[in-house]
Amino acid sequence: MKADYKKNKLQIITFVILGTLPLFIDSYYLDNFSYFMCWTFISLGLAVIWGMGGILSFGQTAFFGLAGYGFSVISINFLGVAGVSLWSVILALTLTGIFGLIVGYFLFYGGIYDVFVGIVTLAMTLVLETFMQQTAGPEYTIGNARLNGFNGMQGMPIIGFEKIPFGLVEGVTQYYFILILSILILISLYKFKSSKMGLIFLASKEDRERVSSLGHNVQKIQLIGFTIASVLAGISGILYTNWGSYITPDSMGLVSAALPVVYVAASGKKDFFSVFIGCIFFVWLSQTLAINGKQFAIIVMGLILVIATRFFPDGIILMLKNKLIEKVKWLQS
Amino acid sequence: MVFLFNIFYQFGDSLAFLLLAAIGLAVIFGMMKIINLAHGEFITVGAYGTVVSGKVFNLPLPIAMAFGVIVTIIFGLILEKYIIRYLYGRPLDSVVATWGISLIVSQSFLVIFGPSYEGLQTPMGNFRLGEFSYSEYRIFLIFFALFILFLLYYLFMKTSFGTLARATIENPAISSSMGVDVKNVYSVTFAIGAGLAGVTGALYAPTMTIVPSIGQAFIVSAFITVVTAGASPFVGLVPAAAFLGTVQTSVTFFYKSTFGLIAILCAVILIIRYLPNGFSGLILKKSK
Repeated sequence: MKADYKKNKLQIITFVILGTLPLFIDSYYLDNFSYFMCWTFISLGLAVIWGMGGILSFGQTAFFGLAGYGFSVISINFLGVAGVSLWSVILALTLTGIFGLIVGYFLFYGGIYDVFVGIVTLAMTLVLETFMQQTAGPEYTIGNARLNGFNGMQGMPIIGFEKIPFGLVEGVTQYYFILILSILILISLYKFKSSKMGLIFLASKEDRERVSSLGHNVQKIQLIGFTIASVLAGISGILYTNWGSYITPDSMGLVSAALPVVYVAASGKKDFFSVFIGCIFFVWLSQTLAINGKQFAIIVMGLILVIATRFFPDGIILMLKNKLIEKVKWLQS
Repeated sequence: MVFLFNIFYQFGDSLAFLLLAAIGLAVIFGMMKIINLAHGEFITVGAYGTVVSGKVFNLPLPIAMAFGVIVTIIFGLILEKYIIRYLYGRPLDSVVATWGISLIVSQSFLVIFGPSYEGLQTPMGNFRLGEFSYSEYRIFLIFFALFILFLLYYLFMKTSFGTLARATIENPAISSSMGVDVKNVYSVTFAIGAGLAGVTGALYAPTMTIVPSIGQAFIVSAFITVVTAGASPFVGLVPAAAFLGTVQTSVTFFYKSTFGLIAILCAVILIIRYLPNGFSGLILKKSK
């Protein structure tokens, strides 16, 4: 435990700073910061499947939207039932996980590999978006919830307990909720990475056939990795929906599917901590740039993506992190 | 009779669209194993090149089209030289980088030319059959698509450049040691792919409203056709486009056009699952 503490000084300092942040910034910026952190989970999921397993999936956005819509439909339908704003989250995540499991089974046990996984998952994302876009009519209603097509859904309750006067996930509590969740998820992901299963998953990126000829069930591990990624994307989707009380089919479109890929590729897909920090940074950057028009933000994101893959295949944030640790001796031991 | 011709016309239109959308992508993917997600934007460049030169310089349509194609080829060559060249052998990175290029190009067009640009008039006339009216230009596109495919087949199978290109793709190291300028072959092949995308953009420019996201209308169809066609594009492209065209036309005919798109996306997911080598894999296996 002590050795862990020594190795992870940078991580601990970062989280201490993030933990005291509400003391220094006002509630508007804090809410904004919660929004940036909403996106870390989908990116961490992509880092699992792409950085560890070497499988580029564009399906993260589909799971993001699916969980967001699932949460909205369930919670709107059972509005007023005890504890709905908590168990609807769990139910929506379970549904997303099951969907991820089915898609993953279809992919990996069907012998789809390499770039074809990317194309199939992209097709899947576009199917969902195309379908949701045209659900504006009243015939697309699930129980009490109208899907509303490209107008998007709203009116879902805030995650929390009814007994407590304010929602659990709102304002400062929202910030701490997301922060603690991300710390827990980061720790579990590092545990997963150093576990036996994680090592096999890492090895399968280098040579799938060799790993399976050593007697490991590669498909099973890829399926597990894919499902973990889909649930993480689902967490982002629900938190995003909860943050703005709003979800639209655009959140599953081509441009939205590109964004997590930009965050992860530019941050350093092999290191979860870099992805976490980089994701916050790049979401902030694209939001700041979008003040002058969304298209400028997307142009810069595209440029970052091209420059990162061309010149820094290991990621810009990871490179900076390694430089920092190299320079500051105190962080090393 | 008119009913049958109607179906043929719809089907042919869909077939020509799928073939022309996919052809440039098929060359780049089939020959170089690069997944070019910026393919749609190459088409956009071709379309804008045609329309802008046609409007601004009042060029006659065929010359404006030629201009559009040349602009696309130059654009493709520049990209190949400065970015794509460094990504050979890194398929996933090439996917990501070309996606970045596609974002940059489509949004830049939005900034430069605004959300829509006045299109050109569709050339040639219409003819009537019964109570329906058909565009002659769309019939022309069907035959032109097949003609381009034939030209490509000739180029890659019968000329000495084709032999060099196929040898390079088969084994770059050995080809290089035999004196083939591998880099040059890659550049030319990429330029051919880009040029074909430009041709597609130029041909469809007079038929649609020109918007910066015009490439997105093509890219999805292009990908699914190439994936359905499989590893050997010349063998698989026509049956793949015919199959997808049939699915799309029949679903659109009986239901709505958004479901036509959803139907072919689902069809592709099933094809990758059960025919991972696509139609060309199926055909080549039978003929062995």
